[in-house]
Amino acid sequence: MKAVIAFLLIAFTTSASAVSRIDIQIGQLTQSGIQAENINASLDMEGRWQGKAMLKRAELSEVAKNYKQLPVTVTQGTASGQAHFSGSNTQLERLSADIRLQDVAFNDTEGSHAGEKISATVKADIARVKDHWQWQDDIRWLGGEVFWQPLYFPSGGHVLAARGWWQNDVLAVEEGRVVFNGVGSLAFQGRIDTAAKSLTKLDLSGKALQAAQGYELLAKPFLDKTMLGNLEMAGTLDVQASYAGGRVQAFNLGLHDADVEDKNGRFAIYKVNAAIPWSLNAVTDANVGFDGGRILQLTLGKTTLPARLEGWSLTAPEWKIPVLDGVLSLQDISLALIDGKWHGHLATSIAPISMSEFSHAMGWPHMEGKLAASIPLVTYSDGLLTTDGAMGFDIFDGHITVDKLVMREPLGRAPRLNTDISMRGLDMDLLTRTFAFGAMEGRLDGDVAGLELSSWKPVKFDASFRSSPGKYPKKISQRAVENISALGGAGAAAAIQRSFLRFFKEFNYDRIGLSCRLRNGICAMDGVEPAKDGYIIVKGSGIPAITVMGYNHSVSWEELLGRLQRVTQGNRPVIK
Amino acid sequence: MKKLLLVFFMLVAMSMQVFAAGADLEINTPAIASLKGSMQARHGQLAGFYASGAIGLTRDGLIAVRDANAVPLSQRQNVNSLVSAENGDRNSLYKEIAAANGHPEWESEVRNTFAQRWVQKAQGGWWYQDQSGSWAKK
Repeated sequence: MKAVIAFLLIAFTTSASAVSRIDIQIGQLTQSGIQAENINASLDMEGRWQGKAMLKRAELSEVAKNYKQLPVTVTQGTASGQAHFSGSNTQLERLSADIRLQDVAFNDTEGSHAGEKISATVKADIARVKDHWQWQDDIRWLGGEVFWQPLYFPSGGHVLAARGWWQNDVLAVEEGRVVFNGVGSLAFQGRIDTAAKSLTKLDLSGKALQAAQGYELLAKPFLDKTMLGNLEMAGTLDVQASYAGGRVQAFNLGLHDADVEDKNGRFAIYKVNAAIPWSLNAVTDANVGFDGGRILQLTLGKTTLPARLEGWSLTAPEWKIPVLDGVLSLQDISLALIDGKWHGHLATSIAPISMSEFSHAMGWPHMEGKLAASIPLVTYSDGLLTTDGAMGFDIFDGHITVDKLVMREPLGRAPRLNTDISMRGLDMDLLTRTFAFGAMEGRLDGDVAGLELSSWKPVKFDASFRSSPGKYPKKISQRAVENISALGGAGAAAAIQRSFLRFFKEFNYDRIGLSCRLRNGICAMDGVEPAKDGYIIVKGSGIPAITVMGYNHSVSWEELLGRLQRVTQGNRPVIK
Repeated sequence: MKKLLLVFFMLVAMSMQVFAAGADLEINTPAIASLKGSMQARHGQLAGFYASGAIGLTRDGLIAVRDANAVPLSQRQNVNSLVSAENGDRNSLYKEIAAANGHPEWESEVRNTFAQRWVQKAQGGWWYQDQSGSWAKK
């Protein structure tokens, strides 16, 4: 280390014969990257000293080399400013500095912490008062970008100002304020144990924080892999929280006219107003409401949820959410976080939603009927959602029951669903018209047992569809015959066209039946009864009668889906 | 000589058995198709970072951030997220392929084969880990 002192002037002020004060003036001082000038200091005979110094230019990359404990490497930047200091004997009494940092860059070897082109001003003042230090600072980040994994600050405009005291390993912030540019201001106070390097106490509060910028800057990086990782937000947030003894003791969240919209289009809620007080050791009442929203394409109406919070558990007697023209009602809601995992249960019922609206919202073909369900008990436990009781759908003039529904990680990466579905007495005329399949008259029963979906796609089931028992008109159009044959992949349509059957628009049948047992992407198919070289799908009766045969007992599921799509699309009018 | 022939035939028989027992890597299930779709959709975002050397192919069939300082600050968290999402998909893919072959225990074999395939398919200039785990440029 080399020091260059340009000139040094020492003056002795004498009164009578004794030296009463020593003045030291240094014109310029250069040491390991630091250039200081006009250093004035004076020392009196009681041992008190004071002085000031102009810091002309310090190369921060040089200065930082003396601080091996820094978490990052400073590669560039300069500091300039001035400092005042005073003390007595060997004890510093007061130091105040006003420093300007310019064009600072830093990084670490992993690249997880880095900053570029940072400019800032730092004002700091520390003074000894009896047995402790009083300090205050004001740091203004004027410009430049910083990545501090996972947070990214694209520009400056943030301020950290605080004052407090420091004594015996306790650093206290009596009054602090942090301003995030575009978000708002948070007031805080707290205590840090400097020996253990731990936060022992923190209280913070902020009002009217801008949810949009706050989410982008401070929340989104931590929510990356969750449902809330890609939102568009609006509205304001009030927050108050206190931390002590290693845990959050209480918080109070207020949302005002907040809009939350998933950029992936899965959900949105608008005009959310919420008051959520919470305390570790007391019962509190929270209220969350919104004016409207949607889940996928299902529109939700105005609703409020009054809930009681007790530690990490929530209970609510009832939550009614308008869905399309019906109401989803959740009752006896209970939810608790135990050992870091969520558990809960509730009862649910759906007051009739018209299938006409539902099918439209889902982008399905138009359907008539009503969707109504009641499940006495839905249980959720650590990613596993089970239902006790069946859901019923009145649709196609018949009834569909969904029973034994179990979902694993419905919101996770690889959701799995298991259920049994049964259909009774569906009107085939409505059904075939809905799916543009070619007209059929009659009633259909069906069962899809042991249905297993992985990522919402079927991997396993035992499905069978057949004519409902009882007496009713049974007719099948030539078009439907062709389509059923096409599903079997055979050229039965051509056979009809060649025969006298082409003169008939529709035929009578006795029974219809088709089954598919899906395993490993292969559908094992069968019909109402076996026949030579295959199985019978439509068993004819009367005059004119027709019998439709299936020949392939084993068909790839993907192939079957492709055929079904071609058949139903082929029958739709093509509008160009 | 007879003994030698016997050993020879045994070897042939064994190698045939190994061949027969090899995993079908092109097998397709809905889960595999959806994983491949998700990886394909992500590839466009990753390609630039492979080329700049910011990320590379690891020897265990995953990808890793190799040189974060080659990425602009504003993109760093995005790269972290992409890498972690890609690795999630890759791990699931190896598991699903092994399971679809009816041999979940083949997962590490599937992983190793894919690790080699990724490197073979990589474009010139991309980085990968060699067998010792050190980075090399293709």
